[in-house]
Order: sequence, then C-alpha cells, then structure tokens
Amino acid sequence: MKDDYEKEEEKFINTLGATASLKRLIKDVAKERKSFATVVIAVVTTATALAFYPLAIGYAVNSMANRDMYGVIFYGLVFLLLYLIQMIANRFRVIHTTKISQLAVKGLRDRSFTSIHSVPISFFTVVKSGFLISRITNDAETIGDFLTFQIPQVISGFSAVILSIVIMLYLDPTLTLYALIILPVLSIFTLSLQGKVRENYLKTRKTIAAITGNLAENINSIRSIKAFNVETYVNSKFDSLNTENLDANIRASRLSSAYGAVIRVLEFIGISIVIYEGVIELQIGLITIGTLVSFIFYVQEFFDPVTQLSQLYNAYQSSIVGAGRIYGIIDSPKEIIPEGSVPVDTFETALELRNVTFSYGEDTALNDVNLTISNKEKVGIVGHTGAGKTTLSNLMLKLYLPEKGEILLDTNDTRNILTSRYRDIIIPVLQEPFLFRGTLYENIRIAKKDASNEEIEKLALEFGLERIFSRLPDGLNTDAGELGRNLSEGQKQAIAILRAIIRAPQVLIMDEPTSNIDPFSEKDIFASLEKFSENRTLILITHRFSMISLVDRIVVVDQGKIIENGDFETLMKKKGMFYSMYNIVNANDNWSV
Amino acid sequence: MNNKKISKNSGVFEPLLFSMKYLGRKRSTIYLIIVAAIITTATRLYVPVVIGSIVNSIQERNFSVLSYFVELILILAVVSAIATFIVNFGAQYASQHYAYNLRKKVVNSLTKKDVSFFHGSTSGDLLSRTTMDIDATRNFLMNTLSQLIPTIMMIIFGFVYMLYLNYVFALFFISTIPFLIYIGMVFQRKQRMHWRQIRELYGEMNERLQEDIAGQRTVRTYSLENSQIGRFQDVTGSYYGEYMDVAYLRGFYNNIMPFIISVAATGVIIYGGYESVITGVEVGNLVAAVNIFNLITFPVSFLGRLIVFSENARAGIGRINTILSTDHDEDLVSTGTFPDSNGIQFHDVSVIKGNREILKNVNMNIEPGSFVCITGETGTGKSTLVNLITVLEKCTSGYVSVGGVDVRNIPLETLRKNVAIVPQEINILSGTIADNIRFGRSGIGDEMVIRAAKIARIDDFVSGLPGKYETLIGERGITLSGGQKQRLAIARAVVTEPSILILDDVTSSVDPETELKIFKEIGKNIENITVVLVSLRYSAMKYSEERYILKDSTIMELDEIESMNLFSSGEGQ
Repeated sequence: MKDDYEKEEEKFINTLGATASLKRLIKDVAKERKSFATVVIAVVTTATALAFYPLAIGYAVNSMANRDMYGVIFYGLVFLLLYLIQMIANRFRVIHTTKISQLAVKGLRDRSFTSIHSVPISFFTVVKSGFLISRITNDAETIGDFLTFQIPQVISGFSAVILSIVIMLYLDPTLTLYALIILPVLSIFTLSLQGKVRENYLKTRKTIAAITGNLAENINSIRSIKAFNVETYVNSKFDSLNTENLDANIRASRLSSAYGAVIRVLEFIGISIVIYEGVIELQIGLITIGTLVSFIFYVQEFFDPVTQLSQLYNAYQSSIVGAGRIYGIIDSPKEIIPEGSVPVDTFETALELRNVTFSYGEDTALNDVNLTISNKEKVGIVGHTGAGKTTLSNLMLKLYLPEKGEILLDTNDTRNILTSRYRDIIIPVLQEPFLFRGTLYENIRIAKKDASNEEIEKLALEFGLERIFSRLPDGLNTDAGELGRNLSEGQKQAIAILRAIIRAPQVLIMDEPTSNIDPFSEKDIFASLEKFSENRTLILITHRFSMISLVDRIVVVDQGKIIENGDFETLMKKKGMFYSMYNIVNANDNWSV
Repeated sequence: MNNKKISKNSGVFEPLLFSMKYLGRKRSTIYLIIVAAIITTATRLYVPVVIGSIVNSIQERNFSVLSYFVELILILAVVSAIATFIVNFGAQYASQHYAYNLRKKVVNSLTKKDVSFFHGSTSGDLLSRTTMDIDATRNFLMNTLSQLIPTIMMIIFGFVYMLYLNYVFALFFISTIPFLIYIGMVFQRKQRMHWRQIRELYGEMNERLQEDIAGQRTVRTYSLENSQIGRFQDVTGSYYGEYMDVAYLRGFYNNIMPFIISVAATGVIIYGGYESVITGVEVGNLVAAVNIFNLITFPVSFLGRLIVFSENARAGIGRINTILSTDHDEDLVSTGTFPDSNGIQFHDVSVIKGNREILKNVNMNIEPGSFVCITGETGTGKSTLVNLITVLEKCTSGYVSVGGVDVRNIPLETLRKNVAIVPQEINILSGTIADNIRFGRSGIGDEMVIRAAKIARIDDFVSGLPGKYETLIGERGITLSGGQKQRLAIARAVVTEPSILILDDVTSSVDPETELKIFKEIGKNIENITVVLVSLRYSAMKYSEERYILKDSTIMELDEIESMNLFSSGEGQ
C-alpha cells in the first residue's frame, strides 16, 4: 500500500532525478561565493597538511638516525605547524560549511513553504500533509548533515590520499606500488557490497517510515481509539511494524560490522606488505628508515577516507532523494495568474456563473451551471449532501477554477482578477472552521490586524455570541489549542463567523455556518446578520430551513445542477424538490419561519 | 524544569542510565562489548608497538626476527577484527533492541492514557517524542558502546603501552587528559542551550507547517500567505542562527582537542629525538609512541560529537518520561460482564473543570431501549455529559451507572465494547472504507460492514464508487465531505451492534431527511438499543422519545410542546 501511495504521489509531485537534483543543489550551495571559496581553500589546506605530516615524521626519524638534533627540532616543529595549520583551516571549514549548507537548507525550506501557498488548493487533497511536513523538516535536515559533515570530510580525505600518493611516488615509486596493492582490493570489496548495503539501508528507511506513519495516525485518532476500545489492536499492529524495523536494522548492522572487521584485516595486511618490501629495500640501501616510517603512516591514512566513502553513499542516497522531492514541491505547478491581472477594488453589479462545469477527478461535481447574483442580493443555496453546494462556494471563492465556463465579477473574468484583491471583496465562513494556535482574540484578528479587544467583544455581544465565549475558562483569551481542539465545534463556528464579520466584506459566503450552534444563539446571529447584510451580498449555503428567512431567493442544487431558482413562495407553490425537503423537516410544525 | 532536575543528578551519562532500564535481557551484551573493546584496542594499539620493535631491529641490523613480527601483526589483525565486529555489531544489536523495547513501551503507555492527557499536548509534539526523542537516546547509546568505550580503552591502553615504551612519553600522554576533559566539559556547557533551542525550533517548524497546511483554505481566503511565510521564515532564520552559533563553538573546541594531542606528540618527537641523539638509543619506541598518538587523535575528536549526542538524548529523556509515567493511566486490562439492562442513570453527578462547574448535581434516568435527545446551548457541557457514560471523562462527584451498576465498576474494555460513542471529531484512518468501518475490531465480516453502512445510509454512496468498500480513503485516498464522514463514523459505531449508542452531534452535516432515516434504521436493526443523541435540531428532538435540555449546569426534561417553543421563540435571552 505504501508503494502504491508513493507512485500515486509521483503523479502530483514531479520528483527531480538524482543528477538534476545534485546539479541544482550544488548551484544552491555555490550561491554563497565567498564562503564557498573559503571552504575550498580550507579543504585543500587540510588535505595538504594531512599529506605532509607522515613525511615530517619520516624526516625527523632520519635526523635522529643521523644524530642531527637541529633536524629533530626542525621537523618536530614542522609536525606541530602542520597540525596548527590543520586546526586553523578546520575552523574556517566548519564555520563556512555550516553557513553554506544551513543557508541552503533554509532556502529549500523557505522556498517550498512559499511554494505551497501558490499551488492550486486541489494539491492538498492529493498530497498528504505528513508527506509535506516530513520533506520540509526531516529531509532538509538530512541534506544539511550531508553537506555539513559528510561531503567536506570525504573530499578532504580523498584529496589527502591523492597528495599522499604523489609524495610517496616522489619518495620511492616501487614501494609506492606495494603500498597501493591493497587499495584496489579495498575498493573492489567495498563496491561489491554496495548493492546489498543499499538494499538493507532502504529496508531500514522504509520500516521506520511505516512506524512514523502508523504513530502519527494513532496519535491523531486517539479519541476514537479510546471510544471504540481498540487499544489492543493498535498495539499489536504497531508491534509488527516495530519488529520489522528491528529485523531490518539488525540485518543491516551485521553486514556493516562485518565490513568494518574485514577492513581492519586489510589494513594490517597492507602494513605488513609495506614492512616486508620496505625492509628488503632498506637492506640493499634503496631507502632510509625514515622513508619506511613515513610509508607505514601513509598506508594507515588510506583507510579512513575509504570507509567514510562507504558511509557517504547511504547519506548521498537519502539526501539526493530528499532534495529531489523538495525540488518537486518547489517546482509544483502554480495557480496560473495571467499577465495583466486586473486589480479590482469594488463590487458593483453582479457575480455571474456562466456555463460552469467542475469535477474532482472523475466525479462531476457541477455540470453547466448558470447563476447570477446581484449586488446586495441575499441568496440561499440548498440541496442534499453531496449535491455540489460546497463546490459552488469553492469556485466563487476562487479556491478552485472552473474547468469549463467562467465566473464574472461585474464584467471581469475572476481568473483575471488579482486574487488578493478579490479576496478583500469576498469572504467566506467555511464549513469546517479552522483555528490557529493562540488566543481567540488572535484568531479573530487574523481578519483585521488592528482590531482591538474591545471591538471584538462589542461585535461578539452584538451577534449574541458572548454567551458562548463566556463559558470558556478565559473567555476570548482562551487558547484555541492545536487545530482548535480546546473548543467545541459550535464554539469554533462562532469564531469563524466573528472573523468574517469583522472583515466587513462586500460579499459574504456562509457554508453551514451554524450547524453546531444552538438554536437560541442562532436566532441572535440571524437577527444581527440581517442587519449586517443590509448593504451587502449574502450567499448562504444550508440545509437548515430556519435560515431561509434571511434570503430573498433560493437556489436548489441537485446532482451538480441548479434545478430550482426563485423566492420562497414561488418554490413552495412549485411543489418541487424544495417543497418536499421543506415539508419533511417541518411536517406538522408551527415553529418555522 | 523536569529536565534540569534530572541533568543535575547524573550529567552526561544520564541517557546511559536511562537506556539500561530498557535494554531488558540484552544487558549482558554490554559486558560482551566491554570485553571485546578491551581486546580490540589492546591488539590495535599493540601493532604500533610491534612496528616500533621492527624499526629497532632494523636499526640494529637484526633482520632475522622480522618475519616473526609480520606474522604477529597478521595474527593481531584477525583477533582485532573479530573483536571489532563484536563491538560494532553488539552496539547496534543492543541499541536497536533498546529502541524496540522503548518504542513498544511508549506506544503501550500512550494507548493507556486517558483522554485528558491528550488535551495538554499537540499531536506533533507527541509524535516527535515517540520518534525523534527515542532515536536521539538510541543514537547516544549506540555511540557510547561503539565509540566512547573503545576510546576510553584506547586512552588506558595507550597509557599502558607508553609506560612500557618510555615513562616520559607516558607522562606527555597523560598530561593531555585533564585538558581534554576540561575542554570537553566547557564545550558541553556552552553548546547545551543551543541544542535545546535547535530542538525547540525544529518542533516549532513542524507545528507551523502542520497548522498552515491544515488551515490552507483559511490562509488563502483571508490572504494570510505573506504573514504565514514571514512567520515561517522567522523560525528558519532563528534555526540557522543557532546552527551558526554551534558552528563557531565547534570550529574552536572540536579542533583544539586533536591539537593538544599533537602538542604532546611533538614533545615526544623532540624529547625522544634528543634522547636518541645523545644516547644513540633506537628510535623504534619513539615511532611507536607517535603512531599511538596518531591513532588516538580521531577517536578523541569524535568525543566532541558524542557530547552533542548526549545533549540531544538528555533533552529527549525528559519528554519520553512524561509519557512513560503512570499519570493519567486507564485500567484497560480486566474483563467482566456487562449489566443485563441498558438503562443509564446519573446520580447527583457534578463535574468541575478548572474553576467552572460544568455539571451540578445532575440526576437523569434513561430507560432501557429508549431514544433520548439531549440539547443545550453551545459550550454548556453536553459532550462532557455523554463522555461520562464511557468514562472518557470522570465525575467530580456522584456517579453514572448502567443497568444500576456504577460504570467505574465495569471493566473499561467491557464497557466500551457495549457502549459505542461517536465523538464530534471524526478520525478517518488511511485505508479502505471497510477498514474504517471495522476500525481494527476482529470478527466483523463483510456482510456486517455492509449492513452497518446501510443503517448509516452511506451504502448508496459507497456502492457508487468504482472500488466500492475497498476504495481508499483518508490521506491517501479520496476525500469525504463532512456529511459522509459523519455517516461513516455512525457505521463504525453500529457495526458491533452495541447495546448503547451515543451520538454526539454527529449528524449536523447530514440533511434532516437522511438523519431521520438513519435514526429509524438504527431502531429497526438493533433490537432494544438505547440511543443517546446530542442534537441541536428540532427534527431530531421531535423524533426522540425523551428530551432533555442542559442549562445552567443542570439537566431538565422537556415535553414536546416545551421543546417546540424552545425552537420557535428563541428564549435564550
């Protein structure tokens, strides 16, 4: 199932390939030119110091053999100097690699965060939020580690190896060949294991991802898990994922530990070969004892970079896949804002839907809908669940663009209207109200930055909502909690209404705004809303007929089409769908409108 | 605050003590690792000594012993390699088992918590505790076993071999240790705050993202994009700043450690050279000593990173402990029988939250097999009232009974199996529709799933889908509308044919016509079921046999006329 999802996802997020990702990553990193140059110089300096210190030791040993005390002191100090240089170069390296890699990571995070604010809203119905969050936080972090630690270490290690070989060749070409015999063995051995290593590694990543996914779902659903008493099932399902992960990790570490052990043997064989051949050359006077000592140190130096390289490969794999996905998010197609977007300031005459068709995937949600709503008109939209009412509102809000047909504000196609301006004119109260962390005051203030607490309280009082908030522990100063979980659904709706009202939009679209609010408070809301909307356009989506009194005209939607359209009397006389819906609810009642 | 208290007690090794608790039977692995670490470092560091002997022999022009020395090196290689394998694999083996045990324990503890535990924490926070924090402690354990222990052994054996080679060399060697320890401590103290900050900012980044994605429609319709982006960039900016602060520290302290060792090594070269030049003694011992210094440099510089791991692990432990503590635990294990009668009684029930009295001496008697509706203004405590029945929330005083038995005396498992509650917040799991109706309970056949879906009036919708009941929903699948979600949740509840069903305002997005059909189907299909409905709709109240209103912390029964008036005159004022 997991694989299926990843494949599905590829359709929506165009993950960049490894080579392309690497190129772009390098480009991003190289943006900080000064730091980049510093790092390059520091890495080369470190490598040089690393390559020369065995030579210094060798010369010191020779000086001792020749009983030359000045030589001993001189090469001893050279040895110390090389370390000092390395220390200083390393300091620059650490600071500037951190700078460029963390800036690159920040850039990736900021750009992907910005990007998700201009993708079509439908993006969020296909890409799961857990995916986005883990890419932007976790994957970016992996890239950061890769750039800060692994890459510079391996590059400086390898530069040191190459420089060392040059120096060794200069000292004694024959002995160099013997010293290098072990290198191809080491490389072939390392490479031959790569396939298995990668397989193990992917398995560990996959199993840990499964664990995280499972946990996220369980934590989010904890209330339902409790209510339905399925804790045992949840635990046993988690156990099996946990065991899979354990097995995968044990298998992977068995291989990598065995690799480490073989490397140790190879290292000692390498030293033995050098000693063996070195002694022969020494006996016939080809080299000095100092040279042999230098060579022994050189052979030992070869092994660190190679073993690091084998670790680098895993880090590279995960970073590059992560980078590809982040670039995929950054590159996601944006909502098309055509050239010369029209800045509209006010709404004058009418909002018009002309032959509008829209579908989610294969399901047609709206089919060739025509509807004109005049300025200051109050329109109710009714229909069964799934009839297309919310889709209608989503389109009028420009959250989605129609597939066919157009929506006109006055005479401008809404496609061409600058979205930010359009959304000053038209404000919704959404079906599922959303609250940010923070106090309720703050949650209302998102709609009007400079609204004072007094202004908010006055408005709450006016709309009969102060009773609802007074039942909260700290009134409007109550913290909403994550996703508004400290509040009941009705309280959340009350906030959503206040938020829209304080913005004082010309057009107000309300989608089931009071479905969880008690009828008493609802009455107060209606009364205030009536006054509020006197000079405004109101579009009210509901299947609660108690709200019908607010509107001048009713539009009945069924299966993606408008089937009835007219005022209350006309529709009742028509005895169509509205009439039957109304009667089911109000049969034998005398309480209604 | 909790963190501070612990860290004072046991310092850098606190994570180690903590992890010992969760190693279980794998604790013996640690002893094995220590033994293997002794062997591997003793053999590894003996090689320079052998090489030194070789150099000495060469200087003495004694070439006959060389093949013996080379053979010795190869034997040392094999022994050292085997011991290295044991150290590395053992470290992974122990730390992975540790993580496995701890994760299992944490998830177990989480599912045991009562609902109030989850009020205080965000889900992102809990998730990072169960994943990142456990991983941080695992990482520390792993590195302690595979790096720290061998490094300590290296220092010990390095000193022992130096003593054997030349006691002045040993003096040079040992004099570095206090410096290394002091620098390590300063380094740790200086970077602690930064790492804490980094972890917090990372969490903040996660939470901002989650909130922003979930609230995307609100963000867009109120044109909040720029302010959201700005706030996110503030977080990533601070995050970058903290990393740079750490980089400056690391750039200094991490490099000064190997440098101190190299100063000592230089001392050895010059002093040993002097000795050799004056006395003509062979240089082999000096070469051996320098080589040992060289082998120790890298592990020592790694100690700096180990300190970072320890910091991360310590920050994690405090957070994991909150979950592992037994506060808020529910007793879920016992089994028992459910009362024969499914009537519900409230006896003088009061609930106080903070300083607000939500329920005050509530008495209510719900007849077995009845259909009851509870209404009341928004925020009056209707959900709290019904949550008491399955002990999702607890009475401050008084008690609730089912069939005359105090619900606290019915084992929770039995109680919740027989009393199904559909909470307002509906969780859709990623999986198929059928999975979501079964919701992990065993023994629910396909025909039961379909029957439940028919009762909840969602069968028509599901049958119209190409994949029918196997259609994927949730984050990976199709998105359901509010009304569809609510009906799915009802199907989830009725599929086990509970004897009591509680619907907490879960038909608000379903049109009244369908709603009434669902109510009728429930009564028709499940014999003698008691239904407690929280609703704000007149149509639902009208359908009910008994009606209650929650007002001013007390419950009152309403007759049909009263409830009608309630909805017509808006007498709330």
